[in-house]
Amino acid sequence: MLSKRELARYERQLILPEWGKEGQRKLKKSKVLVAGAGGLGSTVLTYLAIAGVGKIRIIDSDKVELSNLNRQVLYSDSDIGKKKAVCAGERLESLNPYIQIEAIDEVITENNVFELVADYLIVDALDNLPTRHLLNSVAVKRNLPLFHGAVHGLEGRATTIIPGKTPCLRCLYKGVIPGKIPVVGITPGIIGCIQAAELVKYILGVGELLTNRLTIFDGLSLRFSEVRLKKDPKCEECKSCH
Amino acid sequence: MGVNVRISSLLRKFTDGQELVEVPSNSPLECLHSVIEQFPKIKKWLYDNQGELRPQVWFFVNKERIYADDLNKPLNDGDELLILLAAGGG
Repeated sequence: MLSKRELARYERQLILPEWGKEGQRKLKKSKVLVAGAGGLGSTVLTYLAIAGVGKIRIIDSDKVELSNLNRQVLYSDSDIGKKKAVCAGERLESLNPYIQIEAIDEVITENNVFELVADYLIVDALDNLPTRHLLNSVAVKRNLPLFHGAVHGLEGRATTIIPGKTPCLRCLYKGVIPGKIPVVGITPGIIGCIQAAELVKYILGVGELLTNRLTIFDGLSLRFSEVRLKKDPKCEECKSCH
Repeated sequence: MGVNVRISSLLRKFTDGQELVEVPSNSPLECLHSVIEQFPKIKKWLYDNQGELRPQVWFFVNKERIYADDLNKPLNDGDELLILLAAGGG
């Protein structure tokens, strides 16, 4: 049920024919886990919260650092040293008091990942491959969609993983570029928006998802390109899904 | 007419900014070696010190992802080979 205040808040999206009150109710009933509240996470969380996703679980064990502030738009100088998940939660609650936010200040491990994910839709906004693989493993085993994004400098990529229908993250990733990752705020901004858009479309059941496709954003030439993805026949994670 | 190797923006600084490098038609791995011959500085981003292909190197032929079993299969004149490095930042 949407209150009068909610109907007024979401008016501009409710008038979209593919959205409407029914779409808004779907968003309100949905549960989304955002793993990582950094550059990608800041953007994804912001747009999911203001769109009206009813329940958002944020997981991040880091504290806000000064060097985060060039790209992690949920935080400000006064947050430095504070728990990122908690700060993000407070900021999102102020952006939209009509949704529920759960902030979890924990490291994702193989021992807690199943409990943390539960049956939430998964946003992969992480910055390390081992944890991305843990989330992927839960997604495959529980048949949950995973909305993936990754950035490096002025280049970013995104794809939507639907277990059984698309390659899984382990099909695609065997390693990543090592070392300290350069990031400019605009790149996770753009890729995070793509992840949020995919999630909203998935929940509403509209449009065409970024499945079996990888979108590549090249900020240097300001071009988007796209390539087709396919399962790795040797993937140990999703071989039973082939 | 050979194979056009498309270099992703992350690697283009090693090809003097060139996005497309034309090489003789051959397998994806041989095409990669031809690019390295022309631009030796790119090698350390693609191969480790033991001479093994780095796991973060992704290959796409005519915009479709290929995996290890396809790396030695011949490409045709006019094919496009895209080389991407897996990004990991969030």
